[in-house]
Amino acid sequence: MLRDITLGQYYPIDSVMHRMDPRTKLFGTMVYIVSLFIADSLLVYVAAALFLVAAIRMSKVPVKFMVRGLKSIVVLLLISVSFNLFLTPGTPIFKIGFLQMTWEGVEFAGFMAVRLIFLVLGSTILTLTTTPNHLTDGLEKSLGFLGKVGVPVHEVSMMMSIALRFIPILIEETDKIMKAQMARGADFESGNLIQKAKAMVPLLVPLFISAFRRATDLAMAMEARCYRGGDGRTKMKPLRYETRDRVAYLVCFLYLTVMIGLKIIL
Amino acid sequence: MGIIRAVNLIFDYIRHDEENNKEETNRALSGVSLDIEEGSFVAILGHNGSGKSTFAKLMNGILMPSDGTVYIADMKTNDEEHLWDVRKTAGMVFQNPDNQIIGNVVEEDVGFGPENMGVPTEEIWERVDRSLEAVGMTAYRLQSPNKLSGGQKQRVAIAGVMAMKPRCIVLDEPTAMLDPNGRAEVIKTIHELNKQEGITVLLITHYMEEVIDADRVVVMDGGQVVMDGTPKEVFSRVNELKKYRLDVPQVTELADELKQAGMDLPDGILTIEELVDELAAKLS
Repeated sequence: MLRDITLGQYYPIDSVMHRMDPRTKLFGTMVYIVSLFIADSLLVYVAAALFLVAAIRMSKVPVKFMVRGLKSIVVLLLISVSFNLFLTPGTPIFKIGFLQMTWEGVEFAGFMAVRLIFLVLGSTILTLTTTPNHLTDGLEKSLGFLGKVGVPVHEVSMMMSIALRFIPILIEETDKIMKAQMARGADFESGNLIQKAKAMVPLLVPLFISAFRRATDLAMAMEARCYRGGDGRTKMKPLRYETRDRVAYLVCFLYLTVMIGLKIIL
Repeated sequence: MGIIRAVNLIFDYIRHDEENNKEETNRALSGVSLDIEEGSFVAILGHNGSGKSTFAKLMNGILMPSDGTVYIADMKTNDEEHLWDVRKTAGMVFQNPDNQIIGNVVEEDVGFGPENMGVPTEEIWERVDRSLEAVGMTAYRLQSPNKLSGGQKQRVAIAGVMAMKPRCIVLDEPTAMLDPNGRAEVIKTIHELNKQEGITVLLITHYMEEVIDADRVVVMDGGQVVMDGTPKEVFSRVNELKKYRLDVPQVTELADELKQAGMDLPDGILTIEELVDELAAKLS
């Protein structure tokens, strides 16, 4: 069923991590990414790994789902690892033609791979435990200061949540148009890439027209319900920090201090 | 003086060419005057192109009249200053249920209107609870609107308007895209709101069955009001209705045919029960 599709990769389960304020999670993810970029020794990576494992356990999301996110970076990972392996100057291990593998290369490539994997896993926790709507809310609130310099933060986040609402509707509509065109003899399957792309035209034109029509209707409905931008608007579900968020902030700061401390000492 | 007053309304759809010159004007309304009493249930009937939808959009300032005035609770709709008060007073429900739901969760959508009005958070929750209760959708409050049936979506849309605490609701063909079950569901909800909450209802439709229980029926054709009265009065003029390309309810038509064939029946029979009673009285 097309209407049942889930957007993003939210994993619905009740955990501390899920209940946390999206701003806290955004902050935590940022801290984690920063900490990965300052890490340069084994001990620091171990600390980062421990932090990650703790976060995964707290989110109660099966590890299976976490690892799924890694599939998309396999190619990137292979390329960067092999470049680092063979192109880092240093003590050679062996040599094939102009390619030589060095001890420094092995070390560097290893750290690189771990860093990338941690990076993806860390941000996957955010998207697995936060609904797209919540994420949009969190971004709107955390980036609210940009509004002062003229960035339309509220408008962009409103657009994002409307887009999220309409994606399933438009997918369903695409399906309907496709069937209607197929019933009249359109062929979407055969032919080479160019022919296939051409076959999409009778699908896209009606889809766009209907999307614009929906947009006009929606704008009218929003105006009829007194929508006039973000000013003077109240929130039904305002974001509020709870004790767990304060604790999480504290943990993040502690973690960052430890990481920086380890880097300075070692 | 009623809550909705339309005085000599004229509306032209103007088509512009690329240089922004007037190319063509289409008169959708030509001189409509109507006075609607607070708390009443008024149905506006009309065939396609009769101007009924245009009339609806003029009621809360989505369209501005080319000439004439609309007063909503004594506020002019074309008065910038009062525009938002007008929209708060006269809520509007549209035809396509998908294109008027903004929230990704039912309760969030119902809260959208109050949020825009700047209502404090606790009161938004109260209003959302009450409105969902009033349309009987409390059980679905945490669902995604995409999973609801057409009738349910339309009830959510009505709840969304209710949460703004309007004094009247204008419904622009709310049942046109629904199946018979959904249609019955929505009409029942509207009647309940009218009776229990005392909200003025202006229902625009082209289904005869939906207007039988209204307090007043207004028939529009060619941008003008052509008939106005109680359902009984309007439906007793079967031939006139047919002239405006409107069907009458089947029972009414049958009664009319019987009458023309020489049977002594009263005018304006609207329900099967009425006809059965009349016939039973004749036979015994």
